[in-house]
Amino acid sequence: MISDNAKGSIDGIFRKAAQSRLVLAAGDTCEIAAIPTNDAGLIPEAQVVVLTISSILFRLMLMLQFDEGADTRDYFFAEGSASTVQEIFSEQANLCCGAMNQELLRYFPDLGMSTPYVLNAHCIAHLEDLKPAYLASYAVTVNQAARIKATVCVCTHAPLDFVADLSALEESCGELELF
Amino acid sequence: MIEAYCLAALLSSVLTALLVWMLHRLRAAKTLGRHRAENTARIDTLTRDYERQSELLARALQEQRALELTSAQDQEGLAQQAARCDELSLTLKAALEDKDRWAYQAKQIADEAARLKSLAATFERWHEQMISLMTQNQDMHVKNQELSSIVRHVVIVSLNASIEAARAGTAGRGFAVVASEVRSLAARSEELSKSYRDSLHRNDLTTTTTFQDIQAGGKMITASLSSVEALANQFQAKLH
Repeated sequence: MISDNAKGSIDGIFRKAAQSRLVLAAGDTCEIAAIPTNDAGLIPEAQVVVLTISSILFRLMLMLQFDEGADTRDYFFAEGSASTVQEIFSEQANLCCGAMNQELLRYFPDLGMSTPYVLNAHCIAHLEDLKPAYLASYAVTVNQAARIKATVCVCTHAPLDFVADLSALEESCGELELF
Repeated sequence: MIEAYCLAALLSSVLTALLVWMLHRLRAAKTLGRHRAENTARIDTLTRDYERQSELLARALQEQRALELTSAQDQEGLAQQAARCDELSLTLKAALEDKDRWAYQAKQIADEAARLKSLAATFERWHEQMISLMTQNQDMHVKNQELSSIVRHVVIVSLNASIEAARAGTAGRGFAVVASEVRSLAARSEELSKSYRDSLHRNDLTTTTTFQDIQAGGKMITASLSSVEALANQFQAKLH
């Protein structure tokens, strides 16, 4: 139902979105490593921010599990901010998913994106129940301190095949996704 | 003598008269011949004129026939042009009517697309139901955690009971069986609680992703309707 080209394209689109949206400053480092989806020990007892991009052919769920430890909080949480940690993580996840949405719009004109919702991270263990055509997880480390586990899950309703022109991705892709 | 003279005079007069008459006839004949020659020349001239005129007339007639033919052809062409003009006029009228109808239909499409965009509110309403469902799920999570806590406590109590039964020796044997049974029930309850927790997480995931799909699908439809509305408006603007 999903071609290798499409899998590679989604992987590339996520990596680019994470590198541009999960860092706060342009000079910050962002390391992304593929990990098994059932690797629950990476960030234990955490909550996960879930977002969905829907199209006629598929739906893509992006799940970002932010480490609630001090390093991650210190990186994302600005002093004096009126927002809660959960709101800040949701906003970051929303920006990352928005960047993926903007890129996917180049290949699929009919797309819509949900607002973020926070679930218990145990839910990730049940992603197979959704019968995904593509499931991939990543360990994202920003500035060698902030840790995020990202999971991309794609369920298809028809054969999915496309090749993303990743070299043409803009550095600042997409507008701010407000919610 | 006189008679001869008179006769001679008479004869002379007669001869003179005859001569005059002959001269007159001769002159008349000359005049007549000249007139005849002139007339003949004139007749010839007139004949040539007549022939030239006849030729011109024939040519004029020929040209007239040609002009009549051309005129007839022109009239036929004109009639055809007039018929085509009428036809084009009808076509133009029909096209104008079609244009008005298309403009009206484009406006209808734009209006309908604008109206259908309000479907977004329906999708958002469905999405809001997710919050309600998830709140109920959260409540079940809390109750299940409480149940799990009770079960863990029962396990500890049953373990303590088993220890106490063992201390009691033979007298506590029956109590040990009950304690073991309670521990077994607690273990089954714990398994059930874990299974229930997994079911709740699975339910959370399915509910969230389904309702997010509805919400995102609603936005997708709204965006598509906006495109349809914009295209219909552009089409309508071009028709006016």
